[in-house]
Amino acid sequence: MDSSITSEELHSSRHEHTHDEEGNKMFGFIVFLLSETFIFLGFFTGYIVYKTTNPDWLPPGVSGLEIKDPAINTVVLVSSSLVIYLAERALLRHDLMKFRQFLLLSIAMGTYFLVGQAIEWSHLSFGFTTGVFGGMFYLLTGFHGLHVLTGILLQIIVFGRSFIPGNYDTGHFGINATSLFWHFVDVIWIVLFFLIYIWQ
Amino acid sequence: MPTLRVFQKSNRNPITTNQFVTMKIRNILLLSAIAIALTAVSLWIGHLAYFWLPPQAAAESQLFDELFSFLVTLGTFIFLGVIGTLMYSVIFHRAGKYDTSDGPPIEGNLTLEIVWTAIPVLLVFWIAGYSYQVYEQMGIQGPMEAIHMHIPMGMKSANAAPMKEDAQTISLSTSSTLPVEDIEVNAKQWAWVFRYPQTGVTSTELHLPVNYRIRLAMKSEDVLHGFYVPAFRVKQDIIPKRNIDFEFTPIRIGKYRLTDSEFSGTYFATMQADVVVESSEDYKKWLAEAATRKPCTAKNQAASEYAQESKKLIKGWVTVAPAQPPVVNYSN
Amino acid sequence: MTNISVKDISNTSKTPEYHPATDWKRYFSFSTDHKVIGIQYIVTAFILFLVGGIFAMILRGELITPESDLVDRSVYNALFTMHGTVMLFGWTFPILTGFANYLVPLMIGARDMAFPRLNAVAFWMIPIAALLLMASFFVPGGPAQAGWWSYPPVSLQNPTGNLINGQVIWLLAVAISGVSSIMGAINFVTTIVKMRAPGMTFFRMPIFVWNVMSAQIIQLFGLPVLTAGAVMLLLDLTVGTSFFDPAKGGDPVLFQHFFWFYSHPAVYVIILPVFGIFSEIFPVFARKPLFGYKIVAISSLLIAGVSAIVWVHHLYVSGTPAWMRLFFMLTTMFVSVPTGIKVFAWTATIWGGKLRFDTPMLFALGALILFVFAGITGITLSSVPIDVHVNNTYYVVGHFHYVLYGTVTMGMFAAIYFWFPKMTGRMYYEGLGKLHFWLSFIGANLNFFPMHPLGLQGMLRRVSSYAPEYEMWNIIASIGAFMLGVSILPFILNMIGSWMNDKPAPKNPWRAIGLEWLVSSPPPVENFEEIPVVVGEPYGYGKSEALVENR
Repeated sequence: MDSSITSEELHSSRHEHTHDEEGNKMFGFIVFLLSETFIFLGFFTGYIVYKTTNPDWLPPGVSGLEIKDPAINTVVLVSSSLVIYLAERALLRHDLMKFRQFLLLSIAMGTYFLVGQAIEWSHLSFGFTTGVFGGMFYLLTGFHGLHVLTGILLQIIVFGRSFIPGNYDTGHFGINATSLFWHFVDVIWIVLFFLIYIWQ
Repeated sequence: MPTLRVFQKSNRNPITTNQFVTMKIRNILLLSAIAIALTAVSLWIGHLAYFWLPPQAAAESQLFDELFSFLVTLGTFIFLGVIGTLMYSVIFHRAGKYDTSDGPPIEGNLTLEIVWTAIPVLLVFWIAGYSYQVYEQMGIQGPMEAIHMHIPMGMKSANAAPMKEDAQTISLSTSSTLPVEDIEVNAKQWAWVFRYPQTGVTSTELHLPVNYRIRLAMKSEDVLHGFYVPAFRVKQDIIPKRNIDFEFTPIRIGKYRLTDSEFSGTYFATMQADVVVESSEDYKKWLAEAATRKPCTAKNQAASEYAQESKKLIKGWVTVAPAQPPVVNYSN
Repeated sequence: MTNISVKDISNTSKTPEYHPATDWKRYFSFSTDHKVIGIQYIVTAFILFLVGGIFAMILRGELITPESDLVDRSVYNALFTMHGTVMLFGWTFPILTGFANYLVPLMIGARDMAFPRLNAVAFWMIPIAALLLMASFFVPGGPAQAGWWSYPPVSLQNPTGNLINGQVIWLLAVAISGVSSIMGAINFVTTIVKMRAPGMTFFRMPIFVWNVMSAQIIQLFGLPVLTAGAVMLLLDLTVGTSFFDPAKGGDPVLFQHFFWFYSHPAVYVIILPVFGIFSEIFPVFARKPLFGYKIVAISSLLIAGVSAIVWVHHLYVSGTPAWMRLFFMLTTMFVSVPTGIKVFAWTATIWGGKLRFDTPMLFALGALILFVFAGITGITLSSVPIDVHVNNTYYVVGHFHYVLYGTVTMGMFAAIYFWFPKMTGRMYYEGLGKLHFWLSFIGANLNFFPMHPLGLQGMLRRVSSYAPEYEMWNIIASIGAFMLGVSILPFILNMIGSWMNDKPAPKNPWRAIGLEWLVSSPPPVENFEEIPVVVGEPYGYGKSEALVENR
């Protein structure tokens, strides 16, 4: 049987085979995010099934959801994705000052989103146990909110570690993973926004 | 015992073309003989399959039994074929006690691999097609109205094709003498209650006229239950807060058992009822007689067990209380 | 001639490196060595197997007589719920993860898994989940009693009204087990994709590795959906939401979809590694290459893919529309095609070989035979009209026990006997192994075959009492069950006795071809002195080719 890899090529790369640890961590993290997607897909499917099969979908007294403030929140959150991307770019240029500035801005925007969500929740006339609608609404936005919170915490950690000398010697896994997570959170929100607020 | 040399490649024993052809013909004949023998055995076992089943008390039972027998025949053939091949190897392909050499380095055979992929695919279509036919004929319904996706495709009842021709089956519309109606079935933890709406008769025993298409309107008061009569080969889960329509045609007079097939809690195993299939005369008589009886509490096994102190060594835990035992005109 | 150079198949080895008996402490520690973690999984799983087995003995004891006369009905319901839960989440998943953990890095020529600490964390979640399940027996109301599926509304009925009840604990334990599995899946997929030795292309990986990869991919897309459903059920149970409670507008059938979207592919997560084990064992004991290696490898991915679109066959009578039932009938039947490819490939591997019947081969062959039977009853079940009659009867129970005991458990024993010398550096006692096999094989058939006529006759599953006409088959089944219980004794004796004795096992007692057989028994901590360079295909029996480059 033939081998398409010559023995020469194999030997030339190393004496001892070292593994690309950074690459492995990123690969594993992407696999994790793909898996997380499926939890949200599960909840989305539940939402769609309930909405389309329930004649009394909205609880009594509720005619719909306000879109204006959530829309503003959406713009802020999605823009923060751009901001964190700029932060990453700055880090690649070794511009730590800009990196930290953009990162702080992104954290602020994420926090604005969360606070906005909390305010919206406090003004709503229905609760978690108000029928299937209430349950799905709070479950979806709450679970997503948890992810936003996690993203903010990750960014804070990344911000803190940027002060440790030699932090980036082994690569940029921290910021890369955090920003990927942040983009993920954004995409999920866009789908959520359409499902819950636009499709009413 | 002739050895099957399916893989003829061996450079150590070159054979002449003649020998090769003879071997091939011999192999084909041998394989054909084995296939015929296997088919005979499989058909026989498929025939036996009818005896493994409860009596055919409904028209649906006949359809089921035929399909099942067909699948058993097919399955037996495949099982005996594969196991037979393995057993042959186990007996005749053993390594010699001190033989540490390897076997022939055969890595594959494209033709064989294609064949044993293609044949199963064809079998799948065959089985699926036959099953689909039987499904249509059985008219296995479900709660169609429960799921309203806003999709243009309508969800018709599966009862599209006419029932398998049976001269004695009387259609609903022609009968004017029998109160043929949607018999209400009420399932609760842990009893079955039946109600005949036209006369208002309630009962814990389900009486049905033979050779009529029966329609049931099933409801559950609490949790999931399952309507299952093994003799009819029909089953349908009952979902609380939904009305489930169900149809079948009993064809054999007798007494059969209805059991709750979807696990419904502590006394699940006690939730049974008798199904009495009788002539339309007897059915009318029963309905009339039951209507005259005053409703009283029926015996309920779950309720009586619940009321007793447990005398067992390992006692159980607090459990959901059974619903009130049914108060019905007729109980047994 | 086998293609590995003679010095690697040493029957007369110099003293292999094995750890003295005092080293047992490693196995109770938070070790990040995949070999230690693998054995921790395997032993933990076996202990839970015994627990689940004791539950089964009580269940079968009750079922000897038609009446409910051994234990209270709520106890019976708790026992069958916990039997299923413990056997699935405590026996099959952990032991398969254990073998995958132990073998995958060795088989691909790596020193460890991609994320060793994550690996250890994932393991330690299993004893925690198991302890939670055991603890649930002692809370008011007892453990979960709604079956291992926990269908609402029964699972929402909470008779005590307490917040902390058996069903809640059950959901938490299953959630912990799920998180552990997802961690493992991330680890396995990363390891297999990124850490193969130089020269080991995908089509030079052993089938066991292919199958672990396919199985773990299923875990990645399936478990999250189960988690979603479980979270919603937990919220219904604790906070009073109405997702699945019909009284409040919820949909109990939706739970079934969430549940089975994972739990059906889950059975392929369980069976794929066992198929992998067959693919490793048959070539060795037939001294022939695996027939159709490439197609067998691809069929594993096919099974993983098709398995994602068959789940509704568990809902044929639940109130699903006709088009859904028929679509899923077709897809379910289709999964038999890649499965059949494997069965035929193994048969062809065995055919014409030079067979030896050591205990691993006996178990693998016995498991294959029982699997063919299970596969056929499975095909009957995929047909909607057939399933309408036998759904929720003992016919289904018989089918899946032929798979779970007959194929998976016996396949696991095949793996244990096969790799025992590699893992421990000792050889097991062959006589006890054969005794274990025959008791298992006969016991399994006695126990599970009668369930088929019982189901056809209409005997329901999960019943604590039954109609008198079912008695005879039930007695036979119970005798089989007790025989299975007894069959474990020679196994336990064998394992303890062999592990403790002083006779070392050779590096490669089976003269098998594979990277794990190149190293000592047990392997050194770093697995390989030098990472090998792979130049040959796997299963090269009868060919004079090197597996690895000679240095």
